[in-house]
Amino acid sequence: MKRLRFWFEDRLGTAPIFAFMRKKDVPRHKHSFLYYTGSSILLFLIIQIVTGIMLALYYKPTLEQANASVARIMTEIPLGWIIRSVHSWSASFMIALVMIHLVGIALVKAYRRPREATWMTGVLLLVVSMLFGFTGYLLPWDDLSLSATKVGTDIPKAIPVIGAWVTKFLRGGDDVTGDTLTRFFVFHVSVLPLVIFLLLAVHIFLVQKHGMSLPLKAEVKKARVPSLPFWPNFLLRESVAWLVFFGVLVTMAVMFAPSLGPAANLLAPAPSGIKPEWYFLFLFQTLKIFPAHVLFVSGETLAVLLILAAGIVFFALPLIDNRPAEKKGRFFVGLVYAGLIYALALTVWSLL
Amino acid sequence: MNSLLGGWLGALGASLLSPIIKFAFPPYREPDEVKLPLADYRDLAPNTAKTFPWGNKPGILKKIEDGSLQAFVAVCSHLDCNVAYISAQRKFFCACHEGWYDENGVNIAGPPPKPLRRLEISVDGEELIIRRPGFKG
Repeated sequence: MKRLRFWFEDRLGTAPIFAFMRKKDVPRHKHSFLYYTGSSILLFLIIQIVTGIMLALYYKPTLEQANASVARIMTEIPLGWIIRSVHSWSASFMIALVMIHLVGIALVKAYRRPREATWMTGVLLLVVSMLFGFTGYLLPWDDLSLSATKVGTDIPKAIPVIGAWVTKFLRGGDDVTGDTLTRFFVFHVSVLPLVIFLLLAVHIFLVQKHGMSLPLKAEVKKARVPSLPFWPNFLLRESVAWLVFFGVLVTMAVMFAPSLGPAANLLAPAPSGIKPEWYFLFLFQTLKIFPAHVLFVSGETLAVLLILAAGIVFFALPLIDNRPAEKKGRFFVGLVYAGLIYALALTVWSLL
Repeated sequence: MNSLLGGWLGALGASLLSPIIKFAFPPYREPDEVKLPLADYRDLAPNTAKTFPWGNKPGILKKIEDGSLQAFVAVCSHLDCNVAYISAQRKFFCACHEGWYDENGVNIAGPPPKPLRRLEISVDGEELIIRRPGFKG
């Protein structure tokens, strides 16, 4: 056994990694739960990969077969309904946790120097997660998903210069067709996974490189913060969180399986009450409340540009909020709260 | 030397990008005209509508009170959802963001910035010919 270990050690040289893991500490303070939000996202990502591969064994990404193949997964394949339900619920859980993770980190300002790049890869990971959700939503190819995709892929058109081109690229033509479906499948199972792994590798490397962020006050006062060894204490606690999350996930998946509407018809009018997934609702409602024209600009263009600008500010937050401990820093805490309240309020409004 | 090599590699990469982008955009043009059998639409009651395929998009043929037909591209000018004609209210409705158009396809409420696109209709024997405005066949 020992010889085998040495054989691998000679070839892989992993000893420093294990030494690092043994030495790694996680600080303990009142915001410690935020550390768990990050690692819990991994649980849902793993579930997405496993269930996603399983669904792809039977799913057929073509205009003629997509809806029927999902119906077959739901009705004929052993346990197919629960695999699809877990995949759908786990996506929601994952995006919810990514949002909580990011908002929490913005509020405690863990993105401050030298962790700006960690934050930026984190925001990009949120964007990629939402793109996973957006592309996945079309795949069942029912009337709701068709309309949601028509709207979603039309939104870039409002961006000056490159917009129309982006829409055409996403759709594979001027309209949402069978080509769009196949294209979204490829994005969902091939392009986005490559991107998410790349970003995640950088993100996790940076988290290890810089270590866990301490609370701002403790850092300013140079106070000593008690800590917990990563191995085994933190991991043990984390595994409890994973088990709880897994239990809740499977319960939700069994109780509330996603429905499947009739196959999309390219010529049928949009069904009433179309809504995107919950994490797009605040954007959906934003588009809805803008009038057709604001002064001389189209309301849609203005709304899309504002959303884009807000996204860029969010991405660049650590660069703008560069004096976290001073008065300027408190302004940004207020800004994050304002954004949060805006998103929650519009989500509730869209559900009324 | 480094920038020479880097520049060369960059140029090589950029030159490969063009065919990749070209491949990603399939050729497609919206039709200039479509022909429909007149018999399918002759018995349409006044103030009712029927869809027809306008390329990949839905078109709507609507009969007005004097018995003549109007044709529209049934796609909302806001964010591209397919619209429906609601006979009872004599309006077109887009369910995605609650956009309304009057019976002539003019945007009257909600977010749509422009009217529905109109198409021209002519009859040739037993065929209805629907054309993009300005197209001469």
